[in-house]
Amino acid sequence: MKLFKKNSFLFLLPTFLLTIVLVGYGVMMAISESLHKDGRLTFQYYIDVFKNNNFIASFSYSLWIALVSTFFSMLIGLLITRWLYHYWQKKFLKIIYWIPMLFPHFVWGYMMVLLFSQSGWFSSLAHRIGIIHHPDEFPVIIKDSHGIGIMITYIWKEIPFVILMLLPVYHQLNHQLSSVVKTLGGKDWDVFKAVEWPWIMPVLFETSIIVFAFILSAYEVPYLLDTTYPKMIPLLVYEWFFEGDWSNRPKAFAAMLSVTMFIFSIMMAYTSLLIKKRYQMMKGNGK
Amino acid sequence: MKQLFALLLPIFIFLSACSTKELSSAPEAKLLEQKWEQIEQEAKNTKIRMFMWGGDEGINHYMDEWVAPKLKKQYGITFERIPMDTHEILQKLLNEKKAAKEKGTIDIIWINGENFKNAKENDLLFGPITEKLPNFQKYIDIRSLNTQYDFGTAVEGLEAPWGKVQFVFLYDANKISQPPKTFAELKDWIKEHPGKFTYPDPTDFTGNAFLRHLLYEAVGGSEKLLKQGYNPQFVKNEAEKMWAYLNEIKPYLWREGETYPNSLTELDRMYSQGEVWMTMGYNEARAESLIKNGTFPTSTRSFVLESGSIGNTHFLAIPFNSPNKAGAMVTINFLLSPQAQLEKFRPTYWGEGMSLDPNKLSEQDQQTLKQINRGKSVLSSDVLKKHLLPEVDSRYVDWLKENWLHEVVQKK
Repeated sequence: MKLFKKNSFLFLLPTFLLTIVLVGYGVMMAISESLHKDGRLTFQYYIDVFKNNNFIASFSYSLWIALVSTFFSMLIGLLITRWLYHYWQKKFLKIIYWIPMLFPHFVWGYMMVLLFSQSGWFSSLAHRIGIIHHPDEFPVIIKDSHGIGIMITYIWKEIPFVILMLLPVYHQLNHQLSSVVKTLGGKDWDVFKAVEWPWIMPVLFETSIIVFAFILSAYEVPYLLDTTYPKMIPLLVYEWFFEGDWSNRPKAFAAMLSVTMFIFSIMMAYTSLLIKKRYQMMKGNGK
Repeated sequence: MKQLFALLLPIFIFLSACSTKELSSAPEAKLLEQKWEQIEQEAKNTKIRMFMWGGDEGINHYMDEWVAPKLKKQYGITFERIPMDTHEILQKLLNEKKAAKEKGTIDIIWINGENFKNAKENDLLFGPITEKLPNFQKYIDIRSLNTQYDFGTAVEGLEAPWGKVQFVFLYDANKISQPPKTFAELKDWIKEHPGKFTYPDPTDFTGNAFLRHLLYEAVGGSEKLLKQGYNPQFVKNEAEKMWAYLNEIKPYLWREGETYPNSLTELDRMYSQGEVWMTMGYNEARAESLIKNGTFPTSTRSFVLESGSIGNTHFLAIPFNSPNKAGAMVTINFLLSPQAQLEKFRPTYWGEGMSLDPNKLSEQDQQTLKQINRGKSVLSSDVLKKHLLPEVDSRYVDWLKENWLHEVVQKK
């Protein structure tokens, strides 16, 4: 019994082992396949990937979509949380931001098609009211070359997630501090900067990494809403992986591992930065 | 300590399960030497699992509502259909092969083309099975090229032909009175009706088939391509006409050719909503069930171009590690029976072409075949037969995918 009380991590052991065994093995196989050609160790596939124009175009396109979507999800999520957190102390109101989270991304993506495509619901409505004379005049946001449809879907889906992450922080904030700032003549912005920002920043950064990594590598939304060229990275890699003769498979592994490394290095940079910040915060608070 | 043990036990079991191998390939090799009656006997009261693409309701109903009860009644076989995309099935088999897992979960797969080529090259299939199947011997034209080759890959008895399909264009007769007859006429039609035509991205099966028609035309007939085998240099020189054609129609396509539907499903959706006026498909009768369930307008009809329409055969095969190979063989044999094939031909469920040679059927079955009305959207079998073109080497599928991107999409 004692063993468990002291070392609660033991409870995690089965999950931990399973993850290591199953996921770890998969990753190891992917790494090994991306590094071997005809049984010899080589970086050839990585070189091929980075010389491939399709990959470069896809990568910058995906990066653009992921950055814009993450930024706006964070911003809007933060604004909504600030604005509404005291209403959300009542539990049943939480349902409002839970609802969009209940639907999978795929369903939202398909909703976008049904609502916003040129033969979709809004187009028909505008046509019937007489705002547009022909369905073709409806603005193209599904399968458009700037990825606007994808961004809208992601922003719409990630805002509730951001709220979910930020809400507990706002509930724990010492709101008397806000009053202090205000009595000293501070504006709303000063309250945000002095009281809220130091608390929410770590959570905000962590959340943005999660959202960013997800958008950069998720498949289903671009599958529904992407243009033919450039495609987002997950689509391109899927194509390489499942292509007829399987010869592009190591390249697919190399591409996905490169993306993983990219996300991982951003995460490392963030973490090292945050640790410094946290340390400074602690000192600043004089604790 | 007890708890710790209880905790670790499942892990040990898990790990030990990973290393257990069953060495049981010997009796299965014998299976192919047995008499058919013995195989049928062995298959009785067993269960078989068929993994197959599940994207078509008509096909699924045929399997679940017609095939499954019949198998149970006639052979005592419990049939279970598991929907999965074919390339994912092969991936699963390949993983099992790498892990030396000799007892898998899949008994039958539905396969053709590049998937068959991959499966054959990686030794994922059990066989040769076709010579054991009575219905294959009795009703199928064994000498036909469509039975011997699958997209240019020799079949060698590893898969049994299940059905035949042919490519057709679909259009709404209320909107188009006279469908185009040649690629030149199609081009004129597209120019007269900007935004009303497009084709799926060639990573899609149907989109790729559309391009292959153009490739045949550009090269000067399928015979030339068949003779050449896979020869990228040859097509590269000859394909200029095809790229020129595609680039010429591009500004008149849906969305001015800036983007293409990812899949046939997407093109179908646009057609059903009237966003485009034509769709297509690699099954001459596919519109029937879609008209019946209200997806397509009832005025939907089909046409083929005078230069021909590509047809292909799709097959059934047994994976190397099927746990019930006898049951799988009996099931495949049943699916090749005139009874099952005629039911498949009827528009009730699937409405797809038979893999059997009509001339080898009994008098009575031939009569039944003649009486089946496939529906207004399906062309007559004479027209279809007259325009039938063969498939060429499956490597052209990838060749088109790659080059289309450079030659069409990235060209301004």
